[in-house]
Amino acid sequence: MDGVSFDVEPGEIFGIVGESGCGKSATCRSILRLFGGADARISGGEVLLEGRGDLLAMSERDLGEIRGKDVAFIFQDPLTTLNPTMRVGRQIAEVIERHSKVSRRDARSMALELLRDVHVTSPERRLDAWPHELSGGLRQRIVIAMALALRPRLIIADEPTTALDVTVQEQILRLLLERRQETGTAIILVTHDLGVVSEVCDRVAVMYGGRLVEVGTTDEVLDRPRHPYTRALLAALPSLAMRGQALTPIEGAPPSLISPPSGCRFAARCPWAEDNCRIGPPPPLERHDSAGLGHVDACLLEC
Amino acid sequence: MALLELHEVSRHFTLPRSILDMVTGQPAAMLQAVRDVTLSVAAGETIGIVGESGCGKSTLARVVAGLQPPDAGKVVFDGEVIDGPDRRGRIQMVFQDPYSSLNPRMTVGALLNEVVARYRKDLSRNERRQEVADTLRRVGLLPDMAEKFPHALSGGQRQRVSIARALCPEPRILVADEPVSALDASVQAQVINLFQRLSVEQGITIIFISHDMQVIRHLCSRVAVMYLGEVVELQATEDLFARPMHPYTRGLIDAVPDVKRRGKGDRRPVTGEMPDPFLQIDGCRFAGRCPDVGSRCAERQNLRTLADSISVRCWKAGRITEALESTSAQKERPKENGND
Repeated sequence: MDGVSFDVEPGEIFGIVGESGCGKSATCRSILRLFGGADARISGGEVLLEGRGDLLAMSERDLGEIRGKDVAFIFQDPLTTLNPTMRVGRQIAEVIERHSKVSRRDARSMALELLRDVHVTSPERRLDAWPHELSGGLRQRIVIAMALALRPRLIIADEPTTALDVTVQEQILRLLLERRQETGTAIILVTHDLGVVSEVCDRVAVMYGGRLVEVGTTDEVLDRPRHPYTRALLAALPSLAMRGQALTPIEGAPPSLISPPSGCRFAARCPWAEDNCRIGPPPPLERHDSAGLGHVDACLLEC
Repeated sequence: MALLELHEVSRHFTLPRSILDMVTGQPAAMLQAVRDVTLSVAAGETIGIVGESGCGKSTLARVVAGLQPPDAGKVVFDGEVIDGPDRRGRIQMVFQDPYSSLNPRMTVGALLNEVVARYRKDLSRNERRQEVADTLRRVGLLPDMAEKFPHALSGGQRQRVSIARALCPEPRILVADEPVSALDASVQAQVINLFQRLSVEQGITIIFISHDMQVIRHLCSRVAVMYLGEVVELQATEDLFARPMHPYTRGLIDAVPDVKRRGKGDRRPVTGEMPDPFLQIDGCRFAGRCPDVGSRCAERQNLRTLADSISVRCWKAGRITEALESTSAQKERPKENGND
């Protein structure tokens, strides 16, 4: 990822959308420096959390305090998040115990309350269930309950519904919307699915080749897309095309992030690209004259 | 006449019994993956089979391709009962994951040549090479792709190679099991377009299996919706999306996130979760999640033909249409009188 800047308001659902390898997961992992042993380095920039300052400048120990308490993370695959050798109730209780002084018994009743909040059926029984005994949807509900346990101000959800069936996905998205309403937590939702963005996000950032290419309200970006990549992505969707009509795929392949091209990273696949687009540093996010308020894009051309 | 017909096809799997089960005399747990599926596919049509994980759509695909025998019912292809993979390769499968379905040690050319050599024994070595190049062109790839190994290809190219391999025996039917699910949206569009071209320009019959309602809607002329091993609804695509008859279809359509609808409108997505597939359910398999359960839902439901080309496995469904039809008929009647 390269030069990514955005801000998230309290209580807002902010989407980051892009295809595989565009850097959307790296972006949200950078916020909490969660790289799981990978040799990743953040070479510059700041992550500012209201009242806490720059998370990137913080020691690992101080950041440990923030993780879970101020900012919680939900991963795509609930099975890898949950400890397979621990009953789910204990896992939720442990999160609570780690950050606040409560008895085991109180932690357990708080865990029960959280399971009720995420609408797990027969929650008393589920407290003593093992992760492998639960369905994918139930597991993701447990993970959400864990994320909510410490009343974080921000939840980062990385493809939280990608591994789920569509009816279960709908239930989980509705749950996230409802919990946001109840607790006022902000959510960064990372997804590859513009449909998911359209259903739940207030604002959305479109990412390509490690950079943000467009940011705006969901309605602005989906109804009046500005960047050629956003337009191309929408044109490739079967849901917006007429039946029987050919879809418009994006020719070519995404750029190498090991040695990225100069200029706009989408230029090589862009039907409107001019010579200017291929030289110099990548264009920054700017508001163009005809764009709506708060709608910025990183295209040199006014089209 | 239909090119392919499935008559009451069923397929179940049994789990191995544990020692405890054997001692206590428990029967083996049985999973009814496909139950009583009757379906007829016309030559040249693209039919979609849609459903969520565990609904039996992949098992059905394997039964159609002859990779798995049904344990009840029969599959009739071109007038003959299928009892294994077709010897002339007239039914071919395309799998979801082109990474695991292509041998990483063979070049694309060798992969395709192997299939051509097997089914087209009359061809000389040069003719075979020509055939491989032609097939690559048919799927929108350049003939020099033949020299490459699968790892050097992008996901979209790889899936096109899998489709090229399936085309080598000149099949009548392509059975595609989630062929675009592993692909990014921009690449997915290429492969969807390719299937459309194969259907329109080359008249290949396509059985397209997917969990993605949007892709199915775009590509298929008819759709069968599966739930827990059964086809619960079968309709022409436009009608299915405009007037879903089965409550599951309705809830499934409402659950799909849609860029066009953008969270608005009156939606009633399916609630609850898929029951344990090992449970024996004698009545309607959807009753536990259905918003509109009635007295006869505990009885076994049959796939009933309501009108031309509409089949539904719900005893209530017809009543609603009949009611609608009778009201619209009443509205039309005065007009007819006037004409007389």
